Amino acid sequence: MSAPVIEFAGAVKVYGKKKIGPVGFSVDRGEIFGFLGPNGSGKTTCIRMLLGLARPSAGKVRLKGLDPLRSHTEALTGVGYSPELPNIQTFMSPGEVLALTASEIGLNSGVKAEIDRVLEDVGILQYRDTKVGKLSKGMVQRLSVAQALIGSPQALVLDEPMIGLDPAGTAHLRETFREFARSGGTILMSSHMMSEVEDLCSSVGLIHSGSLLFRGTAKDMVGEVLGGDLVHVEAMGLTAGTIEALGRVEGVIEVTTAADGLEIKVKHGVEARPAIAKMITDSGAELLTIRTGERLLEKAYIEALRSGGSKAE
Amino acid sequence: MAGVRPSRVWAFAAYEIRRALARRKVIAMVAFIVLLDTAGYYILAASGTSFIPAQVYPYVWIAGVLIPFTLFIQFLAILIAAGAMSEEYEAGTTELLLAKPVSRTEFFAGKFLGGYLLLTILIILNATLSTIAATLTFGAQAELATLPGVVVVEVFSSALFFSVAFMLGELVRRSSLAYILSSALIVASQIVGTYLSIAYELTGNAFYASIHTYLPTTLAGSLPPEYEQSVLPSVAGRIFELLLGPGSGVPSEAVAAFLVVVYFVVAVSIALAYFSWADVSRRVG
Repeated sequence: MSAPVIEFAGAVKVYGKKKIGPVGFSVDRGEIFGFLGPNGSGKTTCIRMLLGLARPSAGKVRLKGLDPLRSHTEALTGVGYSPELPNIQTFMSPGEVLALTASEIGLNSGVKAEIDRVLEDVGILQYRDTKVGKLSKGMVQRLSVAQALIGSPQALVLDEPMIGLDPAGTAHLRETFREFARSGGTILMSSHMMSEVEDLCSSVGLIHSGSLLFRGTAKDMVGEVLGGDLVHVEAMGLTAGTIEALGRVEGVIEVTTAADGLEIKVKHGVEARPAIAKMITDSGAELLTIRTGERLLEKAYIEALRSGGSKAE
Repeated sequence: MAGVRPSRVWAFAAYEIRRALARRKVIAMVAFIVLLDTAGYYILAASGTSFIPAQVYPYVWIAGVLIPFTLFIQFLAILIAAGAMSEEYEAGTTELLLAKPVSRTEFFAGKFLGGYLLLTILIILNATLSTIAATLTFGAQAELATLPGVVVVEVFSSALFFSVAFMLGELVRRSSLAYILSSALIVASQIVGTYLSIAYELTGNAFYASIHTYLPTTLAGSLPPEYEQSVLPSVAGRIFELLLGPGSGVPSEAVAAFLVVVYFVVAVSIALAYFSWADVSRRVG
């Protein structure tokens, strides 16, 4: 088994009275890891340690198995980074910014074609020669992602990459990242947009007050935090008896009445929808919709912060 | 230096020149150089030249080359150097530039070199414009073969305040504070130097003169005129008396050059050590 691309082992950062960590997790090759946590929880600090921008006070941080401070050049080779709220030189054009990035990463041939490729990838090729100062926030965000993608990196570190983007931009970048992952790239992505994380990430980590509360798949997090999966049912003509009977379906943990139907908690990993649907139709009620719960990760996230946050602190 | 790739250093140097020129402050200084070097001569010529002996006319270019250097070029040096690092921190751009496969030493060296190259270009511009303006107003100029030499000495001497301001910019990471501290150093050194000269004149105590020698303004400001005086014929010495005042009191060019190097090495070493050790600041307010 190959070494993880990203590794935190008891990493601690102390800023005056504030302490982040110890944080420990790893991200393997080909993984899209969603790094979750509220503002100020330590996500960006971890990312800065990972990129050799901040020195850990204790513990170990490794990028491609290398110390990003001692072996900065080697560790950062093939790694693209897009920061949260990117500050990009306003007096330069996207083309010039990317030419500078190309110089930094040692890209010597086919630079112009590569610049055009990444600008096309993020959908701002037509702004190549416009000064960054004149671009909208969303365009700057796309440029930030473009400079992370230049030179075909093997890993991307993205701090809130979708922030400030319109829905079209979000969809465009989501597809760009998917394509990147499909080609074997590794992504560590911090985000507050749970739907994006749920949709894109193969695994997630939740950090709060400098401590890692959870590491696993989004589905596992939902199962572990919420105590099961959620099935949402809309039906007409449900009786109290039917609702009570639904509680006895195999795998069902709890049935609660919501404003727009029933919310049924089932054991994690158990597919109970066919049995639930059958019982409703057999009872004579009309089943309108039955689907797995939406925004589960968001619910799990909030619940985890509520219950785990106090423990972490 | 191990691990420092010239291509990366040059990329950052070119970037720094571009960044500095994008700032209006530097452009304003360039405009001021043009004004100083042209208008000064025309005003001098137009207001009557009776106090300048005719035999000095071929040497008036020296005034335009040396007078701005004593103070104005020093301020230009700190204007470029103090902001080289600190303005990147304020703009929050350092983080993105350093989250790449480049070493901090390459970034540091490139920024320093770029700023210093820009200063060199401005010193050359000052010398060129002065010479042209002197020729147009006072006729053909003599001993111009010494001009490249004095420009080289000016570039060398300006390394003192440039490196000190660069260091302060890195240490405080606030451009305004770095400018203030660097300017304060020039002004304080100038004032202390004046007091020491007076004390020396009044008491004849060599101690005051020796302290005066080590002051940064003495070292940075005295080398070019010292050099120029040593290579020009004695008739040109009159221009120094007329326009530059009495000698600086520096014991020898070698000592002054050595002390400039000491200031430079200490400032650059401190700045590089701090930059290598400290976390890369996110955007600072």
